[in-house]
Amino acid sequence: MTDLEVRDLRKTFRLSRKQRRIERTDEKKRIAVKGLSFTARRGEIYGLLGPNGAGKTTTLRCISTLIRPDEGDIFIDGKSVLKESIEVRKNIAFLTTELKLDDFFTPNYLFGYFSRLHGIDEKTMEKRRTEQFERFGIDKFAEVKVADLSSGMKQKTSLAISLVHDPDFIIFDEPTNGLDVLTARTVIDYLLEMREAGKAIIISTHILSVVEKMCDRVGIIIDGELKVSDELAKVKALDENGDLEEVFFHLVEESAGDFAHA
Amino acid sequence: MRNMFVIFRKELYRVLTDKRLVLTVFILPGLSIFVIYTIIGTLVQAQFTEPEDYETKIYAENVPDAIVHRLDETMNYRFIEGELTRDDIEEQIMDEKIDLAVIFAEDFEERIIDKSPNPPGVTVFYNQGNQSSASAHTRFSAVMNAYHESIIKERLDDPADYHPYILATENIIDERTMAAQGFAMLLPMLIIIFLFAGAMSIGPDAIAGEKERGTIASLLVTPTKRRDIALGKVTSSALLSLLSALSAFIGIILSLPRLMMADETMPDISIYGAQEFLAIFFLLVVTVIFIVGLISIISAYAKTIKEASMLIMPFYFIAMIIGIMNSFGAEVNQNPLVHLVPIYGPINMLSGVLLFDYSLTNFFVTIAANIVYIAVFVFILNKMFDNEKVMFAR
Repeated sequence: MTDLEVRDLRKTFRLSRKQRRIERTDEKKRIAVKGLSFTARRGEIYGLLGPNGAGKTTTLRCISTLIRPDEGDIFIDGKSVLKESIEVRKNIAFLTTELKLDDFFTPNYLFGYFSRLHGIDEKTMEKRRTEQFERFGIDKFAEVKVADLSSGMKQKTSLAISLVHDPDFIIFDEPTNGLDVLTARTVIDYLLEMREAGKAIIISTHILSVVEKMCDRVGIIIDGELKVSDELAKVKALDENGDLEEVFFHLVEESAGDFAHA
Repeated sequence: MRNMFVIFRKELYRVLTDKRLVLTVFILPGLSIFVIYTIIGTLVQAQFTEPEDYETKIYAENVPDAIVHRLDETMNYRFIEGELTRDDIEEQIMDEKIDLAVIFAEDFEERIIDKSPNPPGVTVFYNQGNQSSASAHTRFSAVMNAYHESIIKERLDDPADYHPYILATENIIDERTMAAQGFAMLLPMLIIIFLFAGAMSIGPDAIAGEKERGTIASLLVTPTKRRDIALGKVTSSALLSLLSALSAFIGIILSLPRLMMADETMPDISIYGAQEFLAIFFLLVVTVIFIVGLISIISAYAKTIKEASMLIMPFYFIAMIIGIMNSFGAEVNQNPLVHLVPIYGPINMLSGVLLFDYSLTNFFVTIAANIVYIAVFVFILNKMFDNEKVMFAR
């Protein structure tokens, strides 16, 4: 059994009148993901690479149970996100730089709050809080309201709080998006540590260097379709010079060509 | 259910540890109502009472002795010396140098005695916009009315001409019922308005606020049942709204004697026993949860707090209109079907309880109906929390 399996995932969004006006289209529906299938395993980082609007975030949101696939299913440790969403949520963390924390609370309070929602006992919670806060340097700011934290510290707090339950599956949408170099480095280092600890990590990004630095396997998604999904080395080998950027651009151009022909 | 309590506690903590919210949601409603109603009561009372030591200044010409005697008996006054023209009189009344000016015809008394076919005139000047002047006019008019009656009496030979019949009216209302009517007229309307206002100040932030701040996703990826989220949000908002309404209620009760211009002998809220207070409590609880449920659904639908507040406003107006209609309604409606109507049913029942005019059947119909509505609201909210289009609409 695969640790995480995305099986023939399809997702369509209805475009609101406002969206149609903004995007100047008559389309009432938009297919965000067209039959996506891939697998991810513990102890590796799977990178979902693609341009903006390719369907990366939609895919990750489906995996994290925030939105429901129209067709297909996702299995995490054999549990379906459609049928056993509560069980799935016990073992996943979903992170995004857009995921906000309530400004009114302190990191200490939020860590306790989310730990209780995950059913973690007080002793374990205290132990994890100490470890995580020290790891990210939050301990000095534990009683400072989120509103008064720097954006970097907010991101680190968000990371620590999302992982209160020490999940086996970490889903991270655009992990370095909008972060300064130092915070981005901290986040990347932490994810690499988590991989060593045997976690299955799926990230989405449009930054090639992040993929090359972190990922063991990579899937390139364009217009909701997974064009390639394999080990990073094998994907790079698709270009004679082993250049991931070239592979990426080739697939984008190919897709644009398909679109033009269609 | 464990997570429902976690969310419940977090929502309480969010409000109760925010000094500004505590001030605006729990202290200001009661305090402002107490201050405003006390001031209104005091001002209205002052309109009807003249300070005992106030000496009314009257400018008079040709006042008959009979009028002077009557004035001596009813007013603390003094006549202003001198002779004034009409312009002087108007000027001095406007400048508050005199309160009242009365000009009797020169041969006033003689013409009254002679029963002159050309009745003598009296001209009265006063300023309705000045409290002392208006009060002096009211008292002087009473004196003149009494004088008028005495003349009629004298002129009629047979007393039966003057009193063709004697009307005896006895109002047998007891003070307890009178006080109950006062409470029933004011309280249900004020309670519904303050319950709604309290819920409006808390409810939208708990759900629409989370959506607007982008924190709802963090909650939705935890292994918490949507039903527990809905119940945690609704129950915490209901408790906080109830506390807010309680603050307003205390303010009303403390300022009510002044507002109703009650004297010390008038019965107060203690006319009600444990049964009435218990009934009021249950009615308040189901009503507040109903209102919070409604506000929560609107907040879940709205994208921002502002949008939620805007969408709630029509419902607030409807509740206010129902409250006002109830205040001016003649009787408590005893039709059980009426008690099924949201908002109106509980207000009508509240009036019934305050007037000691209610049946237990109608009371239980009201409570049961509202519990059903609340269950439906929680069910809808549960579905809304599970609906990505609602939760992540932009």
